[in-house]
Amino acid sequence: MYIIKRILMMLLTIWVIITLTFVIMKSIPGDPFASDANVLPDEVLANMRAKYHLDEPLPVQYVLYMKDLAQLDFGPSIKSETRSVNDIISDGIPVSSTLGIQALIIALVFGLMLGIIAALYHNRAIDFIAMMIAILGISVPSFILAPLLIKYFAVEWHMLPVASWGTWDHTILPSVALALSPLAVIARFMRSSMIDVMNQNYIKTADAKGLSTFKIVLKHGIRNAILPVITFIGPLAVTLITGTFVIEKIFAIPGLGKYFVDGIFNRDYPVIMGTTIFYSTVLVVILFLIDISYRLIDPRIKLSSGGN
Amino acid sequence: MKKWLTAIAASLVISTSLAGCGSDNADKASGTKDSAKNVKQELTLNAISEPPAIDPAMATDTTSGWVLDHIFEGLYKKDEKGNAVLGTAKDVKVSDDGKTYTFTLRDDAKWSDGTPVTAQDFEYAWKRVLNPETGSQFAFYLYYLKGAEDYNKGKGTVDNVGVTAKDDKTLVVELAAPLGYFKELLTMWTFYPVKKELVESNKSWAAEADGYVSNGPFKMAEWKHDSNVVVAKNENYYDNKKVNLTKVTWKMVPDATTYYQMYKTGELDAIQTLPTDVIDQEKNSKEYKNVPYFGTYMYMFNVKKAPFTNEKIRRAFNLALDRETLTKNVTKAGEIPAYSFVPSGVKTPDGDFRKDGGDYFKENAAEAKKLLKEGMEEEGWTTLPEVTLLYNTAENHKKIAEAVQEMYKKNLGVNIKLENQEWKTYLDTTATGNYQMARMGWIGVLLDPAVILDYYLGDSPNNRTGWVSEQYDSLMAQGKTAQDPKEHFKLMHDAEKVLMDELPFVPVYHYTNTYLTSSKFEGINYPYNRYPDVRYAKKVSE
Repeated sequence: MYIIKRILMMLLTIWVIITLTFVIMKSIPGDPFASDANVLPDEVLANMRAKYHLDEPLPVQYVLYMKDLAQLDFGPSIKSETRSVNDIISDGIPVSSTLGIQALIIALVFGLMLGIIAALYHNRAIDFIAMMIAILGISVPSFILAPLLIKYFAVEWHMLPVASWGTWDHTILPSVALALSPLAVIARFMRSSMIDVMNQNYIKTADAKGLSTFKIVLKHGIRNAILPVITFIGPLAVTLITGTFVIEKIFAIPGLGKYFVDGIFNRDYPVIMGTTIFYSTVLVVILFLIDISYRLIDPRIKLSSGGN
Repeated sequence: MKKWLTAIAASLVISTSLAGCGSDNADKASGTKDSAKNVKQELTLNAISEPPAIDPAMATDTTSGWVLDHIFEGLYKKDEKGNAVLGTAKDVKVSDDGKTYTFTLRDDAKWSDGTPVTAQDFEYAWKRVLNPETGSQFAFYLYYLKGAEDYNKGKGTVDNVGVTAKDDKTLVVELAAPLGYFKELLTMWTFYPVKKELVESNKSWAAEADGYVSNGPFKMAEWKHDSNVVVAKNENYYDNKKVNLTKVTWKMVPDATTYYQMYKTGELDAIQTLPTDVIDQEKNSKEYKNVPYFGTYMYMFNVKKAPFTNEKIRRAFNLALDRETLTKNVTKAGEIPAYSFVPSGVKTPDGDFRKDGGDYFKENAAEAKKLLKEGMEEEGWTTLPEVTLLYNTAENHKKIAEAVQEMYKKNLGVNIKLENQEWKTYLDTTATGNYQMARMGWIGVLLDPAVILDYYLGDSPNNRTGWVSEQYDSLMAQGKTAQDPKEHFKLMHDAEKVLMDELPFVPVYHYTNTYLTSSKFEGINYPYNRYPDVRYAKKVSE
């Protein structure tokens, strides 16, 4: 029952997003066919507008769009004449998600390790060092970090290629650049949560029982401390997997990230709609999965739709 | 949980060892290359962004054009020196009135799939551009053909369009009026043939490299969207002995610092549009080139809005700039200060169109102040109406606008306001004439002054100034039909003079493009209106 209700709510959320995006998008001034070399005769322009149903009144356009969408057809891109929005998403998403997943793994592994170590050595030198790294990670923006990585690892030391896409080597620098800031955030979350947990009575009980510190941390500490991190991971994962504008631009990565921005600049209506719907769907689904995972991690949390 | 940790540890070990492998292999590969004697004829360029349409009918941008120019060939082509010479056509006969051209195609002109290029392919390709349903933005370049404009605008029929295949090898082209630069026009990608059977049977033939057919020195080999386009030597090209490169790759690297670094590490063999902060350090390198680009950066005046309704005030705003300082200290890429509309680069019987015509004015702050005062008196203004300079949001335009603002303050005593808008909003605003002074750039696709001067024709959709001159329009019309080059260029000079007398705009500078090209390559040409032409390039060392 709970799951069905949640799914219905998800569909409603997505529908609201679609409708709002459609209305807001159409209210921005500008025209997809406008250019500084605007030499399209009015007669041809009328033809083009008709091709994309832009000559119809807005409610009709909306209905036509929803009809296509029901068949999972996002329509043709206006800017790249020959490609559909479905093509753009299906070409871009494997690339973006490869990068996103790698970055997520790096961020999680090192972020958690850093956070746990800092918490265990609370207020000692190791803690300060770990948190210095974390603050650096949060405050250095990726568009500074990425060129630095390129400068040393590619240009000076010739260890990795500068940019573009092809082999696994090409993915290393962008994954690291993408991972650093979430890594730092995860480390800080994990540290404070872990400090909190380690002061709980059940940890003291476990300690009194004679359990080794290693086992306490692993069995009781991490499991309880990780919940706030998981809440944070959901939206983070969606952002990383659907592609990021800056990193993809700097490393010339053929991902989806740039279409979120370029779509709007080009007034490429189908691209704006397609990317927004795609992003919000992934987000809503992942949030749902996270909710379910709480239950698996912490049995105290029950999946219920109301107060019962 | 323990397993979980070991798995992570293991994956870390694997990933570091993989990274090691990767770099080892790269070293080995370059080692063998060095020892090899025969040079691999491959060239990697940067297209900067995904070409929006590698289709002769649909392409409107120089990036798509760059690829098209290497995989197709029209009736005329550009030779190594940049002259228009016969390409796919081996012979042409022009009627006495200059309106009918009869082309004979080469017998050995073939598509990349080995089938012959026919006159029907040309006829089909051109009519496809003009078909209103195709929605080609460059269809107007074909309006010089008889009946073309009517057909494109839905007023005439396709049968009346002046292009007919008489037989497989004979193409008859009828013009509405003689055209001085028709040869030059025919080298443009909009006039390239497409294989009729293919395009008719597959609407999305130009979307992927697979199944793509062309007739130029190269053919499509791979197209990974947003990542790279690869073309390979076309063995079916009639002149393939002249083609040295076996493979040309265009990567799509948008970030200037990134592609500069890729050039430095050898991942790219040539780059254009260098990041401005490296120009100083690369300036004296042998690999550096600064080539004029056939276009002009300018500020349009809205002549319907005060204060630019007054010609003297428009002139004052032109004289008060210091273009030398602007290009040296602000834009810094070797741009050429503009005192005219048409840039240099057009070959004329006397040399170069720009050099023949010279500059139309000299900057002079004192004179500018005087003109401003006179203009205000003419209009009866005691204070100058407030002026806002509009530009589209971009760092470089902002820098220039701020410098211009400072120059007007200093040289003219006028405080102008700056405002910026995002590109499409900006186009909307300027098209509706809701501005006083606004930035624009114009680049000629063809090396003829008419292509530049067309911009300010009374009925041009690009002319957003509200300035209309019958004299200008009629000089332009006469100049275009003039058959004799001398007369053609004279009328173009006359037209430009009318424009420069009334000054509905401020020419700021003529564009240039900066290039770095690896010294391992020879025979790359740098046209004034296109990205480098590598059809005849050769790699001479590894």
